[in-house]
Amino acid sequence: MEYVSPEGLRLDGRRPMEMRQIRAEIGAVAKADGSAVFEMGNTKVIAAVYGPREVQHRSQQMSDQALVRCEYSMANFSTGDRMRKPKGDRRSTEISLVIRQTMEACILTHLMPRSQIDIFVQVLQADGGTRSACINAATLALADAGIPLRDLVTSCSAGYLNSTPLLDLNYVEDSAGGPDVTVGFLPKLDKVTLLQVQNLLNCVILGRFSALVVGKMDSKLPIDTFENVMQLAIEGCKAIANYIREILLENTKQLEYRRGL
Amino acid sequence: MTWLDLALNHKGMDRIKGIGAPPIPKWSLLTRVLPFAFSCNLFCAFYFCAGMVGLSLGEKHFIQGGIAQDLRSDGRKRLTYRPLYVETGVIPQANGSARVRIGATEVVSSVKAELGKPGSLQPDKGRVTIYVDCSPTAAPMFEGRGGDELSTDLSVALQRCLLGGKSGAGAGIDLSSLIVVEGKICWDLYIDCLVISSDGNLLDTLGAAIKLAASFLISFVTDMRNSNNIILILFLKAALSNTGIPRVHVAAGASGDDNTEVDISDEEFLQFDTSDIPVIVTLTKIGRHYIVDATSEEESEMNSAVSISVNRKGHICGLTKRGGAGLDPSIILDMISVAKHVSEQLINKLDSEIAAAEAGEEES
Repeated sequence: MEYVSPEGLRLDGRRPMEMRQIRAEIGAVAKADGSAVFEMGNTKVIAAVYGPREVQHRSQQMSDQALVRCEYSMANFSTGDRMRKPKGDRRSTEISLVIRQTMEACILTHLMPRSQIDIFVQVLQADGGTRSACINAATLALADAGIPLRDLVTSCSAGYLNSTPLLDLNYVEDSAGGPDVTVGFLPKLDKVTLLQVQNLLNCVILGRFSALVVGKMDSKLPIDTFENVMQLAIEGCKAIANYIREILLENTKQLEYRRGL
Repeated sequence: MTWLDLALNHKGMDRIKGIGAPPIPKWSLLTRVLPFAFSCNLFCAFYFCAGMVGLSLGEKHFIQGGIAQDLRSDGRKRLTYRPLYVETGVIPQANGSARVRIGATEVVSSVKAELGKPGSLQPDKGRVTIYVDCSPTAAPMFEGRGGDELSTDLSVALQRCLLGGKSGAGAGIDLSSLIVVEGKICWDLYIDCLVISSDGNLLDTLGAAIKLAASFLISFVTDMRNSNNIILILFLKAALSNTGIPRVHVAAGASGDDNTEVDISDEEFLQFDTSDIPVIVTLTKIGRHYIVDATSEEESEMNSAVSISVNRKGHICGLTKRGGAGLDPSIILDMISVAKHVSEQLINKLDSEIAAAEAGEEES
């Protein structure tokens, strides 16, 4: 099937290096300490942050840093076919773990010992790139909650279909079977904090990364192409970071206005 | 729901008598009373309030005294709803969807329609399944399986209010209009709701969301046509703009066996008559007065609550009582009449929202 037409247009009319339209909103859940809605094209995700607060299970308390917990759940109606079990399946558990590790790396946990920070992410509509949308939403929600962060974490996915690197895959392109690289990036520090590659890689990556990734035999990605794809995803992350920064500035101006400053 | 149910202390609603568990103390005291706090966690799930609301004695008196004087903490009168915000068509993949916000309580509901086989006991009726999910974004205690208890309670309460009894009698939604071929093919409606944010009064918000989502569910007409082919073709694709259940042309097989040709049209739709779907009004009794649309703080102070589903004609479609305190029957009668009165404003508000949304759609 052709994912990139000869004129260079993808299935939804985008160019290969073009991201979907992003939209973010802060403060969707009034009761949470911090919350945000993040949309990437048709993928819509809500994140809510509760914390820092008292640890619920004493045994998990850490005396020198905060405990970060995360749960990822999808709504029944988020995918085309109605899902029976919205939580607790393996994919949700894996993504919860991934988001937790990514956010934990950028929260200054040593400033809040013996406390707990809960990040809850709920997918309202899934159309590819839910992982990335969740990380972006979680960053906004953490910022809204006023939790000290090392840097904003932004995330974007990229793939390689019909010999073209594509940015920000949607569901159809994602399920095409080509490689799918999700990158979590810290824009100010210029560091990659999350790198997940699916459906792929039959090569050993040496040099800058010391990860051995073994995958299916049917799709191979030579290492320089992989670097291109990853670089493309990083560019996408930078663009998202700019947008997130604008949203946060706008929000702060609103807060100033309401306080009469 | 009948008097009998009330009198027999309907199980599932009144299962915890006299919750004497103390409200969760504030931060600094938590370390000293953690064992209590943990057990409170379990008990609170049995209320429809989503969260341990810690109130000091002064705050409790303030709430109770205010209600006695017809002035609640946010300035409302006893029978006033919080501002209601509505958005429809939020889930493009569903046949109908709505997002409703009352104050800080926010709920998204979606209705999906699929073709299926009717049950053997009711061959002339379609099927409706209601499922509520409490998202952990609404409260940390809903994480993992913590929200299951409340979700089941809400689903069952909604089913009772909107769908009537097991025999299908007294349903707010007309199930016989969902049939395509009697005994063989019917529409299965799956109503899925997600609680995003919870600040009291979940049932009312859910009821409103379901009514709105169903109002935008466009229905179908069956058209019997003679044909010689006996192939079942199922193309379930909701086409065009705001989706809907398409027109279904059914061709009966010559020998009347199970396989019938079903041709679902992509272009023709019809309006589903949902003006009879009831709304739910919850009256919470605090002290000697009742209030409508309680916040979670007010709900934590309640003696008991009665949720009544009323339809446009003023008929009662369902009634649920929650809470440990017993109620004098005359009070319940009074609550019912108050609920009827209050439901008129709510129904009018929802109708105007539906009309506004439809008008908006026609323009675009």
